[in-house]
Amino acid sequence: MEFDFSPVIEYFPTLLQGIGVTLLIGLAVAVMSVIGGQIVAVITLYTRKVVNWPLRFFIWLFMTTPLLLQLYFLYFGLGELILIPAIVVGILGLGFHYMAYNADIFIATIRSVSSGQYEASRSLGFGHVRTLFYVILPQAFYRALPQLSNNMIIMVKDISVLSAIGIGEMVYVSQYAISVTFRPFEFYITIAVIYYLINLMMEAGQTWIERRAAYRR
Amino acid sequence: MDFNLMIEITPLLVKAAWVTVDISARALFFGFFIASVLVFFRTSRITPVRWLARAYISVVRGTPYFVQLLLVFYGGPAVGLRLDPFTCGVVVGAFNIGAYMSEAIRGAIESVDSGQNEASRSLGFGRLETLQYIILPQAAGLMIRSIGVLAIILVKNSSLVSIISVIELTYQAQRLIGSTYKPLEVFTLSALMYIVIIYAVMGIVEFLYRRATRYTFL
Repeated sequence: MEFDFSPVIEYFPTLLQGIGVTLLIGLAVAVMSVIGGQIVAVITLYTRKVVNWPLRFFIWLFMTTPLLLQLYFLYFGLGELILIPAIVVGILGLGFHYMAYNADIFIATIRSVSSGQYEASRSLGFGHVRTLFYVILPQAFYRALPQLSNNMIIMVKDISVLSAIGIGEMVYVSQYAISVTFRPFEFYITIAVIYYLINLMMEAGQTWIERRAAYRR
Repeated sequence: MDFNLMIEITPLLVKAAWVTVDISARALFFGFFIASVLVFFRTSRITPVRWLARAYISVVRGTPYFVQLLLVFYGGPAVGLRLDPFTCGVVVGAFNIGAYMSEAIRGAIESVDSGQNEASRSLGFGRLETLQYIILPQAAGLMIRSIGVLAIILVKNSSLVSIISVIELTYQAQRLIGSTYKPLEVFTLSALMYIVIIYAVMGIVEFLYRRATRYTFL
């Protein structure tokens, strides 16, 4: 077969819009799931059972059910009660999903920071919350990095699932372009290369932060 | 909801669920060895070996599992690699999860304070002995937790194996819908089975985590 990339160039502005949406969602979800995951982990570890039982249930719920099901539930289920824009549902759904995964990692890393650190910090006059904020969480964060970047790379690929609820991200946009131009291979190759570039950037980011972490340790 | 139908199709779905468990467990098992080799290469002193491991991890993490499956199953015969669907699912799953897992294992090992390594070496332990007696016991907790997350992702991803015609849970569900026209019942049952499988995985992870961190912290 012959490859003809001229339709890709013709539809590149549309594609670019899709890339923008993908990057925007990825960024929002990454920030939400990392910060949220930390909050969930801290609450699970440092509060009473009554408070953290619902959170444990939350982690359990989001870990055991497939992403698509959660998205359908949030979009079509909650959509009957209140009307939420699809992009917000997408960000919330993906965010909660990966928040659960990240929380699980943060629970392990926070517990892996030796208790001597906590005691030393308390004896130096830091309060409980400040100890957590300045001593425990930074160390836990750097330890979680490799698995966090795993999760985030899987997350970027999962953004394509959001096309199922009609969000105009990369795959959705290219499917539209394919239905007009009948050139599936060219478009799929293009977006595969773009996904790979995004992942390469994320890996570079991971190495950069890890270097800094090694320097600070 | 047609409960008679649900009871009727349960044995078929349980059988298919077992295939899902089987394929994921094997992929996880072999993936662990691949990951160990990758970690060994990635932390090697020889630069080309290190770069090879990095390139492998980057390519496997950078391309979708779906594409890897299609490539090996349909593209494999062109280069003389003829695998039956089940084996193909296991092999691709293992090589895919191995790349992610090697990062998780490396992260866990690096999370142990470097002073531990130096102290152990200065006490006369060899490199491997240090790894076995000092580093790995301390890294085990984080390692088990990270691998647990990856195992859950692996089980969920195993539904993709249906496109190379392995009769696992999702494929069987689709076949049953094709013959009964009852999507709600069939999908509810298959979702329940996924929940049971993943809940079991989480239970095992929790148990191993408790055991691994018995003597440490908190």
